[in-house]
Amino acid sequence: MTYASNQLLSESDLIKGCIEGDPQMQRLLYDRFASMMYAVCLRYSENTEDANDVMQEGFIKVYKSLSKFRAEGSFEGWVRRIFINTSIEHFRKKVKLYNVSEVSENTVEDGDLSALDVLAAKDIMNIVNELSPGYKLVFNMHVIEGYSHKEIAKILGITEGTSKSQLARAKGVLKRILETRFNKATKK
Amino acid sequence: MQDFKNKLYNFETPPPHEIWDHIEDELNNEKVIKIHGYRKNKFLFYGATAAASIIIIFLGSVIFKKNSHSIKSNVSVEKENQLIAQKIKDSMNLNQQILKSIINNPEEKKEIISNTSNLDQEPTKYLTVAGPEGQPVKISPKVATLIISADNEYPPKPVWKEEIKKWQKIMLGITVSPTSANFLSLVQLAANKENIE
Repeated sequence: MTYASNQLLSESDLIKGCIEGDPQMQRLLYDRFASMMYAVCLRYSENTEDANDVMQEGFIKVYKSLSKFRAEGSFEGWVRRIFINTSIEHFRKKVKLYNVSEVSENTVEDGDLSALDVLAAKDIMNIVNELSPGYKLVFNMHVIEGYSHKEIAKILGITEGTSKSQLARAKGVLKRILETRFNKATKK
Repeated sequence: MQDFKNKLYNFETPPPHEIWDHIEDELNNEKVIKIHGYRKNKFLFYGATAAASIIIIFLGSVIFKKNSHSIKSNVSVEKENQLIAQKIKDSMNLNQQILKSIINNPEEKKEIISNTSNLDQEPTKYLTVAGPEGQPVKISPKVATLIISADNEYPPKPVWKEEIKKWQKIMLGITVSPTSANFLSLVQLAANKENIE
């Protein structure tokens, strides 16, 4: 089946085919979401090897859980959540987040990171990937995926204060990275 | 700020080709894995059952051995106790026999009376007499007093009425009050006084 036919195939047909174990449908589902989900995996993982592992594990989970999909929200959102949860599971296996004293989230204003807006997505990815795993996780969950601190605290088993503190520190680090890069660029 | 968020959220990058190969392998092996899992579970089940049986048999034998040993040791302790009880019984019987023979023998009684005459000087001195089979028998001063003041029946019953009269008479004659520790010592003292008289 070609790329065009994949785009024409409805989500429900794709899901039905995968539930029935049709290998062609499984491949089509993979092709439809692979690039999108690999970017998610890279954003949450510490390195490419981990991202590959999460990618593989995430898709197996998607195929196994398809029968549970109730079509109450978007299918893409459902698949994305599976990948985010798999990434978090991986993170929790490797890193233990400890509760720390709360730091005001407003230490770094959102406007301070506006320099990121002018960068290409790949460059933004590279800068975000320079953050330590804990900072990166909370930053991704709160800023990109839109989880609240309460939700992050519940999912990661930390306090809301710790989540806020991690985010504030992540923003601080990002600001310093951006300053260094721009200073270097202007000197050149 | 929204721009970089959207850029990151919608960012796409193609994964390495081998990822799909791994996923495909895993999906194809799913059924095989299930059969494998079943077989593995079957072996695991039988293995676990065998291991559990061995452990149960081992523990059972250890507990049985321990119990049988304790039963044995209980039997031996019981036997020992029976022997000790028998020895005590024999000893008591012998004592009774000796006492009986002494009470029934006037000669023996006389000898005891004569020997107890100097007990007031040595109140703790034991008398040694010959038993019915010639064995040496030690008699405490108190028992000696009891024998002296008893009738010729066994078990000895002191003839207290007569004895008390005598003791009263003796006690009235003594100017210094005796400082005896107990009643039997008092009786012994009185008996000695009587003998002296």
